[in-house]
Amino acid sequence: MNGVLYLAWRYLAYNRWKTTILVGSIMLIIYLPVGLNVVVEQSGQHLNARAQATPLLVGAKGSPLELSLNSLYFSLDTPELTTYAEATSIIETGLAEAIPMYVRFRSRAQPIVATSFEYFGFRGLELAEGRMPALLGETVLGAAAAEDLGVGVGDAVVSSPETAFDLAGIYPLKMNVVGVLAPNFTSDDNAIFVDVKTAWIIEGLGHGHEDLANPDASSAVLNRTADNIVANASLVQFNEITEDNIDSFHFHGSLDGYPLTGVIAVPHDDKSGVILMGRYLDSEANKQIVRPRDVVEELLDTILTIQQFIVAAVFIVAVATIATAALVFLLSLRLRRREIDTIGKIGGGRWHVASMLLAEIIIVLLMGGTLAAGLTALTWQYGSAIVEGVVMS
Amino acid sequence: MTAKSWIKVVAVTAMLQTVACGERAPQEREREDRADDLLRVITVNYPLAYFAESILGDKGNVSFPAPADVDPAYWSPEPADITTYQQADLILLNGAGYAAWVANVTLPRSRLVDTTAAVADQLIPIESDVTHTHGPTGDHSHGGTAFTTWLDFDLAVAQAAAVADAIVAVRPSHEAEFRAALDGLAADLEALDADLMAVAEALGDQTVVFSHPVYQYLERRYNLQAISVHWEPDELPEEAQWRELQSVLQRHPAKIMIWEAEPLGETRRRLTEFGVQSVVFSPGGNRPETGDWLDVMKAGIASLRSQ
Repeated sequence: MNGVLYLAWRYLAYNRWKTTILVGSIMLIIYLPVGLNVVVEQSGQHLNARAQATPLLVGAKGSPLELSLNSLYFSLDTPELTTYAEATSIIETGLAEAIPMYVRFRSRAQPIVATSFEYFGFRGLELAEGRMPALLGETVLGAAAAEDLGVGVGDAVVSSPETAFDLAGIYPLKMNVVGVLAPNFTSDDNAIFVDVKTAWIIEGLGHGHEDLANPDASSAVLNRTADNIVANASLVQFNEITEDNIDSFHFHGSLDGYPLTGVIAVPHDDKSGVILMGRYLDSEANKQIVRPRDVVEELLDTILTIQQFIVAAVFIVAVATIATAALVFLLSLRLRRREIDTIGKIGGGRWHVASMLLAEIIIVLLMGGTLAAGLTALTWQYGSAIVEGVVMS
Repeated sequence: MTAKSWIKVVAVTAMLQTVACGERAPQEREREDRADDLLRVITVNYPLAYFAESILGDKGNVSFPAPADVDPAYWSPEPADITTYQQADLILLNGAGYAAWVANVTLPRSRLVDTTAAVADQLIPIESDVTHTHGPTGDHSHGGTAFTTWLDFDLAVAQAAAVADAIVAVRPSHEAEFRAALDGLAADLEALDADLMAVAEALGDQTVVFSHPVYQYLERRYNLQAISVHWEPDELPEEAQWRELQSVLQRHPAKIMIWEAEPLGETRRRLTEFGVQSVVFSPGGNRPETGDWLDVMKAGIASLRSQ
C-alpha cells in the first residue's frame, strides 16, 4: 500500500504544474462559495448587531439606507440634513433620549463623528487613555483611528476640506486629542469623535474672532457706526480653539436651526418607541423615522439574493471544472499507457494501477480541500479587513 | 471570474464593517447609582446648590465646584471640572445666559436642567449697544439676558420647583419627601419675598443706586426706582466715576447705594459726603464664608430695612 501511495505521490510531484493547476481548481470551486458565505454571514452579523443596538433613527426625508449607513457605519454619503431642533423635539416628547449625529467631515480617511456626550455611554465606549472631550475643539479617537493617524493624547488632528479646490471654503480646524477609546471592534474604532458644536465650527457656522470693538482690531473694520461694526475680509477667524480664544467662539441664532445628519432616538421603553414612530408616520413634515434593523435586514436580503445568484454561477463553473478535470485525467491515462504497461511488466496488477490512480485523485482532492479550508479560516479571521483595505485603497 | 471580481461582489457588505472580530453588545447607558444610591447633583451657582441641598436632604450629594473667590457667572472651569460635571446625575443650570462657559463645553444634554426654562418669558433681555457684521450671516450682536434671576424671589420659587421636578424625575421613589422639602423651601422664599416687598414699599419713590448692573430682577419685582453704575467694592472709584455719580445724583437724588460686597472704607466715607449710605445686598452667587444662601438674603434685606 505504501508503494502505491509513494508512486502516486511521486507522479504528482513530477508533474507539478499539472498537479498545481488541478489542486488550485479544486481549491477555488470549494473555497469560493464557502468563503463568500463566510464573508456575507459575518457582514450580516456585524450589520445586524449594530442595527439591533440602535432602536430608532430620525432624519430628513430621503433614503433610509443612506441615513442608516451614515449614522451607524459613518459612510461617506451624507443623507439629507435635518436640524438640531429634531433632537430637541424628541427629548420634549418625553418618549426617548435623543443623540444627535452629524457625520459629514473627515480628517484624512477617518470620519469625524460629531455627537453628544450620551453617545459614548449608549455604545458602551470606554477610554483606554486620556479623558472625554470637555471643551470645544477637543476630540477622542477610536482605537484604529489613533493607530492609523499615528496620534495620541496631546497630539492634534486637522479636519480635511470637503473639496480640494474649494479655496474660499471653510478653514481646516485643528482639534486637540484628549482621549483614545479602547477598541470595541465596530465602526467606532475608526472614528474621530467631537461635540456637534465643534462640527458646526468646522463648517463655519460657529466661529471665534478678535473683538471688533477692541481698538486693536481696527484694521479688520470696514465700517464702524455707533451701533454697528462691519468687518472686512481681513478679520482673522481662529482655526484652533485654545484656552485663550475659546470665549470668543460663538454661534449666531438658535442652535435649533443647525444641521444634523440624523438623530438616534432611544425610547424609554417599547411602548414609547411605538408611540414615537406613530407620531412620525402621522406627520406630513419632511422627516422620517426608521428602524435600522429593518433597513439592514432589507439590505441583507438583497445581498443574499445576489449571493444566491453567485453561488449558482459558481456551481455551474464547478461542474465545468470537474468535467474538465475528469477529461484531463482520462486523457492523461492515454499519455501514461507506457507507464501503466511497465507497472504490469514488473508485477503490478490492475488493482495496483487502479489504486495508484485513485490515490492520485484523493491526494489532489485532499490538497485542494485543505487549502480551501485554510483560506476559509483566513477569511473568517481577516477577510473583512482585507476587503475593506482593498475597497478603501 | 477573478479574485478581484469577487472582492467587488462582496464589497457592498464589507465596506460597512470594520474588522472581522465579534462586536460587543452595545449598552444603553444606565446612570450609575453608587452603592448608597446618592444622587449626584452639580450646579453652576450657589443659589441652585442651596435649593438642591434643601430639597435632596441626605438623599444626594450636591456640589458646586467654582472657587470661593470668583463670580461663578464669569468663571471658566478647567477640563477637570468639566469632567466632574459630566459625571453628575443632574447638572443644574441657571439659564438666562448665566455661566456662558456652558455653551463651549461638552455636557450630557439629557442631564442638563435649565431652571429658568419655564419662566423664559419673564427673563430680562439686555440689548447690546453694538452689532457687528462679518461673513454671510448678517448683523448680529452679543447682547444677552440679565441672569441674577433668583433676586426675584418669585422666580426663585420657580427655579426651586424646576430643581425639584428634575430630582423627582430621576428619583421618583422619594417624591413625597422631595415635594415636602420644596414646600418648606418655597415658604422660606415667599417669606423673603414678602419681607423685601415691605422694605421696597417703605422706600417708596426713593431712588437707589446699584453699584453693579446685576440687580435687574430685584428692581423689577420690587418696583425699585434704581440707577446702575459699574463700581467694584474692592476698588477705589476713579474721579471720573465720582463725577458720573454726581451727575446721576443731580438727576436722580438717591440716598442708598446697594453693593454686592462691603465697599472700601474710603468709598463708604466719600459716599456719605454725597449723602449716600452704603448697603450691602449680596446676590449670593457664590458660597458664603459663614451661613447659607438664605442667611445672605436675610442679611441683605435687613441691611436695606435699616436705612
